[in-house]
Amino acid sequence: MKTFLVIVATLITLSFSSNALAKDYGKPLRLTEQTKISTILDNPDTFIGKRVQVSGMIIEVCATRGCWVYLSSDRPYEKIQIKVLDGEIVFPMSASGRQATVEGTVEQLAMSKEKVIEYKRHLAEEQGKSFDPSTVTGDEKIIRIHALGAVIEG
Amino acid sequence: MLSLKDKQNQKIKWRKWNKIIHRDLGYLCVGLTMLYAISGIAVNHIADWNPNYRLERLTSSIDPEPLRTLPPQQLAPAILAAIGESRPLVDSFRPQPDKMQLFVKENTIIVNLKTGAVVQEKSMPRKGLHQMNFLHLNHAKKLWTWFADLYALALFCLALTGMFVLRGKNGITGRGAWLTGAGVFMPLFFLWLYV
Repeated sequence: MKTFLVIVATLITLSFSSNALAKDYGKPLRLTEQTKISTILDNPDTFIGKRVQVSGMIIEVCATRGCWVYLSSDRPYEKIQIKVLDGEIVFPMSASGRQATVEGTVEQLAMSKEKVIEYKRHLAEEQGKSFDPSTVTGDEKIIRIHALGAVIEG
Repeated sequence: MLSLKDKQNQKIKWRKWNKIIHRDLGYLCVGLTMLYAISGIAVNHIADWNPNYRLERLTSSIDPEPLRTLPPQQLAPAILAAIGESRPLVDSFRPQPDKMQLFVKENTIIVNLKTGAVVQEKSMPRKGLHQMNFLHLNHAKKLWTWFADLYALALFCLALTGMFVLRGKNGITGRGAWLTGAGVFMPLFFLWLYV
């Protein structure tokens, strides 16, 4: 019985510790070249549907489900949203301020003004923030990356 | 050809092992079942609350005047000192020319360098619940995935052996049949109602 308990305890400890050390999320990164976020945002049509690897600082994390982060661009005052399917990757809140390399597919959300309001209200609710609909002035095209894998520096 | 006594002995052995498996698997599953149950209720209501983090949003202000003359590398330490944040700075970001975002453990500080307005977004993991959700929702992946599969298998065996623990009017041929039937019917009813 003692041996059995030791085995169970070891398994549990291993499963905890392997995660504690893990900084890889989702699928392994396979691209060898990185694309600048500013390049993607300047020429979105060239990249939509293509797999890219980008890097930057995580400046915001979805507080509710960890299902998106904003990554800072290489150009000042610019950012891009990195989205994952719920549960596929869960970004921890502790990732805020960390450097990350993310690989995924560029996608575009073309939304009417009403949809943009709905979308931004949802994002604000997830963060426990208030949202002012008057900040949305019209239809918007949002460029984001559907992440497949990420590496976050410790 | 087996005698009546042999047949009875075989039946007793089968029942005996069924009880042993049910009892020991039951003990083994207590911890994880409680963990999954508590976390299950917590994440079931994710639309109404954040089951993982306690979020706090604090607003305050600092005097922006001294910040204007500081070199960029001294801005962050000066702001942290001004708001009394003693935890080390992870990094900083400028979302707008007049705004600065500072990251420390469990706190993101957004400062308007013009007005001195400060917003602190604190996110503290809910002790215990955060860890339970982490396991329940399999954020751990890796070895935990296999362990959770084993647990699911154990629950399956627990349900199966549970049906045959008792004999007689309270067993699966009596009261047990009705209750088992009701348990199977309930999810089917909700499927019929919502799908």
